[in-house]
Amino acid sequence: MKANFIKRISTILFLSCLFLSCSSDLDFDQTKDLKLEPVFVANLPYFNIPATQLINDGSVALYPDVTEFDAFKEKFFRDNLVKVGLDFEIDNTIIRAFRIDLLLLDANNQVLERDTYNVQAYSGTSNIIKFPTEVFEGQRLELLKRTTKLGFLVTMAPGPPLDQNSTGNLKFRSGATVYMVIE
Amino acid sequence: MRKLYLILLVAFQLSSFAQNKEVLYNFTSIPQSSLVNPGADVSYKFYFGIPVLSGVSANLGSSSFSAYDLFANNGVDFNDKVRNVINNSSGKDKTQVNQQLELFSGGFRVGGRDSQSYISFGAYQEFDFLMYVPKDLAILALDGNRDYIGKAFNLADLNVRAEVLSVFHVGFHKKLNEKLVLGGRAKLYSSGANATSTKNSGFIYTGQSAGSPNIYEQVIASNLELKTSGIATFTKDEYEGSIPKDIAHNTFFNGSLGFGIDAGLTYYFRDNLQFTASVVDLGFINHTKDIETLTYKGTYNYKGANPSFDPVNEPGDIFDEFDKAIPRDTLYSKYTTWRPTKFYSSIQYSFGESRSNADCNCKGKVTSSYANAVGGQLFIMSMPVEPFVALTAFYKRNIFEKLDLKATYTFDSYSNKNIGLGVSGTLGKLNMYLLVNNVLEYKDVSKANSIAFQFGFNFVFHDSEE
Repeated sequence: MKANFIKRISTILFLSCLFLSCSSDLDFDQTKDLKLEPVFVANLPYFNIPATQLINDGSVALYPDVTEFDAFKEKFFRDNLVKVGLDFEIDNTIIRAFRIDLLLLDANNQVLERDTYNVQAYSGTSNIIKFPTEVFEGQRLELLKRTTKLGFLVTMAPGPPLDQNSTGNLKFRSGATVYMVIE
Repeated sequence: MRKLYLILLVAFQLSSFAQNKEVLYNFTSIPQSSLVNPGADVSYKFYFGIPVLSGVSANLGSSSFSAYDLFANNGVDFNDKVRNVINNSSGKDKTQVNQQLELFSGGFRVGGRDSQSYISFGAYQEFDFLMYVPKDLAILALDGNRDYIGKAFNLADLNVRAEVLSVFHVGFHKKLNEKLVLGGRAKLYSSGANATSTKNSGFIYTGQSAGSPNIYEQVIASNLELKTSGIATFTKDEYEGSIPKDIAHNTFFNGSLGFGIDAGLTYYFRDNLQFTASVVDLGFINHTKDIETLTYKGTYNYKGANPSFDPVNEPGDIFDEFDKAIPRDTLYSKYTTWRPTKFYSSIQYSFGESRSNADCNCKGKVTSSYANAVGGQLFIMSMPVEPFVALTAFYKRNIFEKLDLKATYTFDSYSNKNIGLGVSGTLGKLNMYLLVNNVLEYKDVSKANSIAFQFGFNFVFHDSEE
């Protein structure tokens, strides 16, 4: 009987140990500190104009274009965007110099910003220009966020005439690096 | 969007489990052991569970991180903790929750005093949640794609299922002879809410190659599908009600119905050498109520706008192109989900005559006449990515006539030092049991990768007690 009693007590003690569990101090409010800082890269406009599309007697010529650009329509994107870097690259193999003007236009077709990129006429050697990254922060970024259309104005400088047998292309490509902070 | 991240985090936190009930399995002094093996050698004249208190169980498991890893109050920046958790996880790591609450249960012997046939029945509510760590998508959200040029972020990492259901069941088991017990159980499932997104595939890729017309090569191939039943109503703006209340109502009275079976056996090679096996929840649910399936299927190669310098042939809006390439579709077709099927098996060797007088417990003679039992158990459960497997070694001891203990040691993907302890005791006709696993982790539960417990109260009546 006594042995049973001791056994019973020890069993109870043993079991109660089981339930004397502990936990480290946890702080669930930390979720408020969650801050995501992803950096995305994405393509922006590109074009490839063959010399044969620019048939010309040697004088100045202008080629305009406007494309819709509604990346900033999305409020979440707009609100969490802190910095944008734009990279432009021109590869010219046409025997004429070019100037490419990029115009950021708002919904009312007002020009928010105008950036100019020049490339020399092709002379037989590699003619690729990588322009320094255009960084949009602060006030400049606010203007960018209002952009709804991108305008391009390609100006071909005077030079040798171009006909349907002319060779070469004017290649333009661009990309964005988008810095977001999501809190 | 931020809400989404928070929901994901909370889900991470809540989640953890495997439905392995290794301590309960073959613990035949507890009537509920016939829920994990309908062919368990359980005997009684009749029993009934105390409503709502006869079987309360919860399983939480997270294979790659613990609550402590994310929420420790240790001064480490929360974002660093999230990053560490993601870095230390793989797409095969999972978090699971399983909770069951028995509403009522009972059983009785049929066919007179010498019969060894039993019928048991009951109803329980169950909540299941399983999510694999969406590692690639988490990296994309944390870091973006800039530093991952050439990497395809795998959309198959998005793998989650959740369900609230009620189960009504009736089982029958019979001891055919001294060697063999066979049993089966039929189950009627009523699913109040289900969300299943387990067959996703696709990728998000950013590459770079010289000489291409674009700076980046960007492809999104998406084959995403989220099936829901009993949830769509709540997502509508005009919904004004109490979600928990409505889910509870649907779970019991207006759920999508399904059917399943359990089957099991106990076989004695010798008096003291026993083999058991069971299959639980071999069944399906046919989702028909308030169904809604969302899909994003398609492939999009993003190049950027392409001005043509030709006012006549203006290219279309590229953002519209995306919506056209990978449209969001909503379907309203019925679907079927399979219940997570569990398979158990055990082998047990008994030794040492019990000090109690076995004659008074005539129906459980074979097992109760030994004081000790050792053995091994195997558990396998079907899962979307790969089956969950656990191996258990156990020791059972009958201390007094009415007090049984069981200790288990389990290896599985959550832990390799999972010690479980269970006790089942009877005071008068009141049977009480308490089963806990991962007891080592109780010294600091916040650091546990998995925790499970179960307890309950039943009234059990044997012939000898009349």
